[in-house]
Amino acid sequence: MLQHCVLALALLIPSILGIFADDAFSVDYHLALLGLPQGPATFFHQPYQSSKASLLYTLSERNVVGAVNPKDGSLVWRQPLQSTSNTTSGFLRVGEDADTVVTAVDGQAAAWSASDGRVVWTHSLGDAPVHGLEILELDSGKGRAENGKDAILLVGGTNPSVKRFDGTSGTIKWEYEDTSGDAPLQVSASSTSIYYLSTHATFTGGLKIKITTLDPLTGHKTDQHVISSDSELSSTDGILFVGANTASPIIAWTDKTRKLVKINILGSKTVSTFTVESNAGEEIEKIAVHAPRKISSLPHFLIYYQTSERHWAEAFHININSASITKAYSLPKLAGRGAFATTTADANVYFTRITEDEFSVVSSASHGILGRWPQKGSRTSQYAASFPLHASAEVITKSGSVSAIRCAVVYSDGGWALFLNGELSWTRHEGLASAVAAVWAEVGDGSTLTEELEVEGHANPIAAYIHRLNRHVHDLQRLPQWLQNLPKTLLVGGIFESKGEEISQAVSAHDRFGYHKFVFVANEAGYIFVLDAGNQGRVLATLKAATLASDEKWTSSSLQISHDGQLTVKDPATGSQTVVQMPFAEKLRSPGFSQFDIVDQEKTLFTIATFDPDSGEIQGRKATPTDIIWRFKPPLGDRLIHISDRIANEPVAAIGKALGDRRVLYKYLNPNMVLIVTANDAKSRLTVFLLDSVSGDILYSNAHDNIDATRSITSAVSENWFAYSFSVIPSSTSPSAGHELVITELYESYLPNDRGPLGSASNYSSLVTASPEPYAIAQTYHIPEEISSMAITQTRQGITSRDLLAVLSETNSIISIPRYHLDPRRPVNRDATKIEQAEGLFRYTPVLDFDPKWYLNHKREVLGTKHVLTTPSGLESTSLVFAFGGDVFGTRISPSGSFDVLGKDFGKLQMLATVAALGVGVFVVAPLVTRKQVNTQWQVA
Amino acid sequence: MLLLILGLIFPTLSLSITLTLSIPPSPPLLPNPHTLPPSTHATLHSANAHLSAPLSRSNTLVFSNLTKGSYLADIHCRDYMFPPLRIDITTTEGEGLGVEAWRTYRGNEWENKGQRLGGGAGDVVVEVRPLGGKEYYQQRSGLLSFLKSPMILMALFSLALIVGMPYLMDNMDEETKKEFQEIQSKRGPASDPASAIQNFDIAGFLAGRGGGGGNAADDTRRRS
Repeated sequence: MLQHCVLALALLIPSILGIFADDAFSVDYHLALLGLPQGPATFFHQPYQSSKASLLYTLSERNVVGAVNPKDGSLVWRQPLQSTSNTTSGFLRVGEDADTVVTAVDGQAAAWSASDGRVVWTHSLGDAPVHGLEILELDSGKGRAENGKDAILLVGGTNPSVKRFDGTSGTIKWEYEDTSGDAPLQVSASSTSIYYLSTHATFTGGLKIKITTLDPLTGHKTDQHVISSDSELSSTDGILFVGANTASPIIAWTDKTRKLVKINILGSKTVSTFTVESNAGEEIEKIAVHAPRKISSLPHFLIYYQTSERHWAEAFHININSASITKAYSLPKLAGRGAFATTTADANVYFTRITEDEFSVVSSASHGILGRWPQKGSRTSQYAASFPLHASAEVITKSGSVSAIRCAVVYSDGGWALFLNGELSWTRHEGLASAVAAVWAEVGDGSTLTEELEVEGHANPIAAYIHRLNRHVHDLQRLPQWLQNLPKTLLVGGIFESKGEEISQAVSAHDRFGYHKFVFVANEAGYIFVLDAGNQGRVLATLKAATLASDEKWTSSSLQISHDGQLTVKDPATGSQTVVQMPFAEKLRSPGFSQFDIVDQEKTLFTIATFDPDSGEIQGRKATPTDIIWRFKPPLGDRLIHISDRIANEPVAAIGKALGDRRVLYKYLNPNMVLIVTANDAKSRLTVFLLDSVSGDILYSNAHDNIDATRSITSAVSENWFAYSFSVIPSSTSPSAGHELVITELYESYLPNDRGPLGSASNYSSLVTASPEPYAIAQTYHIPEEISSMAITQTRQGITSRDLLAVLSETNSIISIPRYHLDPRRPVNRDATKIEQAEGLFRYTPVLDFDPKWYLNHKREVLGTKHVLTTPSGLESTSLVFAFGGDVFGTRISPSGSFDVLGKDFGKLQMLATVAALGVGVFVVAPLVTRKQVNTQWQVA
Repeated sequence: MLLLILGLIFPTLSLSITLTLSIPPSPPLLPNPHTLPPSTHATLHSANAHLSAPLSRSNTLVFSNLTKGSYLADIHCRDYMFPPLRIDITTTEGEGLGVEAWRTYRGNEWENKGQRLGGGAGDVVVEVRPLGGKEYYQQRSGLLSFLKSPMILMALFSLALIVGMPYLMDNMDEETKKEFQEIQSKRGPASDPASAIQNFDIAGFLAGRGGGGGNAADDTRRRS
């Protein structure tokens, strides 16, 4: 019976450790991001004609098109576009009442279903850049399609061409090629004609705008004229706006000093000139034109002016019959920066003005304010001044006045917020989509217990004893507070009782299991975001770390946080170091700080390995003096692909691996292992080198042929093993196609119970003696998908096994591959023996299928992850995971099961009730049993 | 060069080709492919070429302008697993480019082609059906699954037998009862198993006195 019970218990222990359905979406958090929305490519639109609610569509600077639900800011769908260039300006257009949105980026034009984001048609444009996209809103003719409206695309290249795409099928109806050699500028359409705009450089350096009128049905040239703009325009930067799909589309441009605005109604030859009303010495920073995009709307538009101090706007009316433009009214100059949004309702045009504290709506016809809403609810960027960049709005009008307004504003700090009647309904932190670096931080009040214990361990016994007494007295001071909170802790039982909205609350929140960590994330634009990993990844603050020039980006920056909470941004490209001032620095510090960090203040013992991009080699140098002591140059024709090393202060619990027969294989534990992966494009060969970063010795190397060097190759090193993955091209040596993952384990000797050449040496330096070569066991697995990035889980003591975290870019997921599946010692071509089974080994299979239970993101789709960070939590079983680079995703993971914490299925009440019931049972049964015992003894005798 | 010459001789030959992977309704697994998430896409991978096609409104994945080569096709989907395919774009004399599609298996030799799924010249449609759904979540071993375990079921059954046997005996008609008691007496001194357990002499049993309790219940215990 006992055997049965044990078996029954064994059956209850899960064989695969997956995510529980009730833990999903609560222990993990995910910010599904698009990237910073582009101004003209952001609008409200009804996904299909009879739809009551509209969605907010955008094309982001990262070339992701998507729809967001304006109610709660959740993502409805998104599609990354396949751009052939790094340009951040794509085109997103939608036809009136159309159920498709059309995008064009360099190399690809596509139409997407507006309601679910499925592709309707897609067209590859090769390497040609895209200069313009418009939807053809034809009133008459057979061009009107049922589902999608035709699109007009202007493609650059040697011979720029205008193409008309069928709205439903995406086939090209006609093409107009321009062989004059002029630079393409834009394409525009009115209800009757298509205008192709190009610029023609004069020998004085100015630009003349050439307008070619095309017949919408045939694509033939019907008219062409040149506007002499060469006295003002020297580059296309001066062109402010090219309107389309209005009764009379316009082109507006300005001179270099931004003193004049010139406007031409497309199709006419007259140019209207307006002078900018600015004070002397005041420099205009920005001029923007806001015009409706609807054929039936009134031909009105607005010009917005911005100086460093204030902003204002002027509204203009176009007289279609006389083709003249008159200024209607101007809106007052207000301090600070603002933004305008244009909305059309029937034929009426409304302009919404967004200032730093207010929303107001005016009609294009007159300057009277139709509605005014003060901004309520603050966004979290209280530590960095931000201002509105651009906005899109939806207004509801009732008998001439505006009754409600919904306004989505993009801010300079990367926030995208929606205000309903001035009240903040949601914020999306789109700036996080361009994250380049991140670092963990934890709340630390001075020193932790481990550090105190370390001090005691290193002091003499008497001093240590005094220290210990002091520590206990210090601990006693916290007893009353602890007792006070005890009932609350017992009753609520939650992990984070006080979920702080504010950073000050968050850093003082109670954290029992060490889950409550913070992440600092730096993005390309020089902003730092503070995320609360213990509270669903809430963005607590946005800081501006650096003011970067418009063409400058942080691309390879790294973040470091010191033990006293100083955050430093290092940019290896420029060699600059920025110390970020944080208002709460004294509370946060680097996690896992130990005494080792300050042992070698002089840094004379360390070698620092750096990559020198000029010579393409890796150099190892002593920290002081900085002499190069070794160089590593990749083999001739190879390029460096990936470098990975062990995490500093990585704890290792066991120095050996216990075999099934109780013998031990000693792990090769070198803290200075650096794995270098190089690839040769010509030979399709990948080579890995394991280096000792102190001496520069090559410890191990391996090469793989017939690999695809254009696909992602990545690697990771931990403890005594490393892994790397690549894609293979079928050949005679590796006859299968697909993707492979190689894992290599290093041991001191191939003999169990043997410590190799170093034997019983107690001290050893790589600089003095040559590093002994480890005994390596490697195994390759076929994997179903390409891995784009790898990381390894970390726990406090390193007792828990380390899972390999792999980012799968094709399925937008992050998986955690259990270590025992990857064990290179799995027996090949035979079943495991009893002894091997005791070790947890099982038969090797060349194909490693990714079990869906390994997916950390489960049903979530984590797009564009570049890096994964892990850190130990307070529990040995659990490691915290944070992924960034595109979406932001975080979770916690227990590679060996949650052996030191109870799961959600454990009911405290249930347990108490059982104990109580048992207690009652004992009291009830006790007299019965006594009576029965007495009876049997008297009766039987 | 060969293509160029061919193109000159037969100017109507198709030099690029369109491959359509279609996902038809395949009940019971995927009765309605319109429920597939929009992130579903297919990739074609060969030496130095990596193409991707998103899922269209008509549940197809379209690759156009394919050039000659041998490709590994994968369909990536959040909710379903799809088989990998081998796609060969070949030149056939006089017909321009042609497509051949096979079901392939990971880790198999590339030349070891599986079942042929389709092919031909010009634009080719290949139907692909999912292999199975993706089950991301693990079930909690709650009370119900605990009770479902065969060991627990066996234990519960024997418990029910022990408790229910006396009642069963009481309800038997006289003849059967007699017969049963006869069988019991032949086997040995029959007794109530519950009292047998109670009277079990543990000390004697541990001391190795075989059949110390002197009853059958003792023996059954050791057998179990």
